[in-house]
Amino acid sequence: MSTDTIKINVPVLARVEGEGALDLTIENKRITDLELRIYEPPRYFEKFLEGRNYYDVPDIVARICGICPVAYQMSATHAIESIFNVRITPWIRAMRRLFYCGEWLQSHSLHIHLLAAPDFLGFNNVIEMSSTYRNEVKRGLKLQALGNDLISLFGARSVHPVGVKIGGFTKAPDKKNINVLLERIIDAKQDAIDLIHWLDTLDLPVDNQDFTSVALHHDNEYPCNEGRLISSDGLDISIDEFEKYFKEHHADQSTALHCLLQGKPYLVGPLARVNLNSEQLPDQVKQIMQEIKTRFPSKNMFHSIIARAIEIYFVILEAERLLSNYEATSQPRMDVIHKAGTGYGCTEAPRGLLWHRYDIDEKGCITKAIIVPPTSQNQPRIEQDLKESLVNFGLDNTKEKLQLHAEKVIRNYDPCISCATHFLNLNLVRDNVLAHNDQKTLITGFANIDVTKTVIIGIGSPNKNDDNGWRIIDALNNRKIIHTLKKKGLCLYKLDRPGIKLNEIIKPFTSVIIIDAANSNNDEQKLVWIKSGDINTIPSSISSHDIKLPETLKLMHAIKTLPDKTIILGIHGYSESLEKEACNEVEKLLYGN
Amino acid sequence: MSTSSISKPSIAVHKFSSCDGCQLAILNLGEPLLILSQLVDIKHFAEAGPLDEDAKVDIAIIEGSISTTKDRFRLEKIRANSKYLITIGACATSGGIQALRNMANTDEWIADIYANPSVINSLDNSLPIKDYVKVDLELWGCPISKRQLLIAIRALLFGVLPVEEHDKVCMECKRQQTVCVMVTNNEPCMGPVTRTGCGALCPGVGRDCYGCYGPAENANTHAQANRLKGLGLVNDEIARRYLFFHSSTEPFHQEGQHWKSK
Repeated sequence: MSTDTIKINVPVLARVEGEGALDLTIENKRITDLELRIYEPPRYFEKFLEGRNYYDVPDIVARICGICPVAYQMSATHAIESIFNVRITPWIRAMRRLFYCGEWLQSHSLHIHLLAAPDFLGFNNVIEMSSTYRNEVKRGLKLQALGNDLISLFGARSVHPVGVKIGGFTKAPDKKNINVLLERIIDAKQDAIDLIHWLDTLDLPVDNQDFTSVALHHDNEYPCNEGRLISSDGLDISIDEFEKYFKEHHADQSTALHCLLQGKPYLVGPLARVNLNSEQLPDQVKQIMQEIKTRFPSKNMFHSIIARAIEIYFVILEAERLLSNYEATSQPRMDVIHKAGTGYGCTEAPRGLLWHRYDIDEKGCITKAIIVPPTSQNQPRIEQDLKESLVNFGLDNTKEKLQLHAEKVIRNYDPCISCATHFLNLNLVRDNVLAHNDQKTLITGFANIDVTKTVIIGIGSPNKNDDNGWRIIDALNNRKIIHTLKKKGLCLYKLDRPGIKLNEIIKPFTSVIIIDAANSNNDEQKLVWIKSGDINTIPSSISSHDIKLPETLKLMHAIKTLPDKTIILGIHGYSESLEKEACNEVEKLLYGN
Repeated sequence: MSTSSISKPSIAVHKFSSCDGCQLAILNLGEPLLILSQLVDIKHFAEAGPLDEDAKVDIAIIEGSISTTKDRFRLEKIRANSKYLITIGACATSGGIQALRNMANTDEWIADIYANPSVINSLDNSLPIKDYVKVDLELWGCPISKRQLLIAIRALLFGVLPVEEHDKVCMECKRQQTVCVMVTNNEPCMGPVTRTGCGALCPGVGRDCYGCYGPAENANTHAQANRLKGLGLVNDEIARRYLFFHSSTEPFHQEGQHWKSK
């Protein structure tokens, strides 16, 4: 292998919900570094929940993930009902299971046909695949639509359904609508069986690995809304004990939190569920599992696509049972009296365990929420899998082949990155790691400043053509060094055309950096630095603001209220690279202080 | 209509900060998705497979709000590469639920959630797409419906703008002859101030509308809020009814802040 530095920059990991990037370093034919990064911007759901009423929770948490809103609503509802000691009727319990069947059906069908199958049949996407496998794709879309319609039966729509309340459902479905769906479910049974047999013929890679499966377990049924937490290594705990055994930590490289079971990665999701709960599956499903060549429990993550199909058949049979026994009720919802306390909810989302904890005060408002989604649980396991599977695949393969294989491995986990975080940048570094070239410092004489008396001021206006100064402040706020200096007392301000007020604002400071847009006569993009001694040389065209910055500065200079350590950074034009350069230069000014 | 003489219009679907739920309006189309893929040339749609982030297209469809510095550069490029730009859903159109952070101190939030806050690249605000670039058409809703999207694309394929729905949800209830949940059941319904397009789903299942399609045209928020007061809601609860999925739209923001500060 060459000793050149090779960087692969593959912009997007398609067919994964969310955005991710993979950094891979190979030295001496060994993987020395592998990190899966998650890019989804932080969305702070656990914080939005604080201070909200308990009854808003099902509608808020649904928005965490458009693919599995039912899962979020169910975990939250169970957690909150446990605080209020709500005892649901068998009708509500059965209907929640039916509701959840719909989500598994649509999510699994979507993943198999639109996201995973093109991988194994050599197509870039489902649209290409549909020209050769038209009937299979149509069957998949039919199953997906059926799942969506099951959700809509209770929720009026399949994405962010509206029928869930703490205590039950807003309305019992009409028998007429139940019967229409029952007919379609019965008709789909053969589709599900055909789907399993079709997927069983796929030429899936053989890659057996040692991992721990974790899932809910219920003695009398295949797990969905309730049960104990069990693992393939003998764990058997109640959901309330989750925090004792499972610990979340913030991995440096992403906005997701990673979760470990007693310090070790583990698997959640369809394969883990089938591995641990096949006894609880109905006889018809067990029989199909005997007929196919794929065997469970399985240690091959590529079998997860078959596990999903098996679960599709299961939920169809389960929905048939529940729909056949349906009787309308006058009480689709229990009365709820709120009280203070802490409650836990854990259900099986299509992608795996979804654990919630809520603390509620006596007014019925959330004081604290913790949500552990399946993808943050699977992520350490995905990294562990990649380390093994890429070696098994052969590290000498071309970067394109490594990339494709890595994507297939990651897709096995159906990572919903919007709930933990669609972009996989594969940054592959082979052998020699590149050295950063140092740049010369442009400004001198700004040494020995007192950070606690330093301010960086971005000048702009809410008009998006006139906020370059603000943009630099935003960019600076996201830099590590600035973040550290802020803790030491550094101030960053965004000011809206301050005019003469600037004089008051910078009074407490002894060193000042002012950043503003500068007009230039041509399209050239550049940074211009002006020191306090040269204030009088500023051309009046430096700012396009109505209340002029140059005049203010000249005046302050004349009345000697402008600190000696004042620097003005004018920005001609704007681009990503110019923004980076400006941030680097500002950091250099402050560095060492 | 004969389309043989003209080339197929191209489409790109881009995601920013969101839950992916509005893209499902496309992925959940079922068979119409296959028909759509024959009518238009889908150049970029990461969740469904086609990848060409920098493709020049006729229509760019945007999901999600802008909440990092990098997003802004991406958006500016998309705008430059597209003739027509549509925002889909609450996040892209009004900042969405994550705009609730615009009223909070995000530094504290980050420090509470993440052990290494310094690596979290995040703006102070989660702002809608129109705050950064020109938007040609907005589809409201959390999430949008398949119907809304197909109507919009179909209209554009015929070279006309779709008719905007900004009636109140109340009007839709009347058309469907749904019994008013506020009048008969004292539900704190947001229907009188919320734009329709959803099909009045919530009153249809016997519950209060919670405003996920955003403010209707000329919404009398003040009268509605006073009615909520009459139903027994305390000021904070009234504020939270408005400061929810479209907290950064002007009518909802103002009404919410009014009751919050009372």
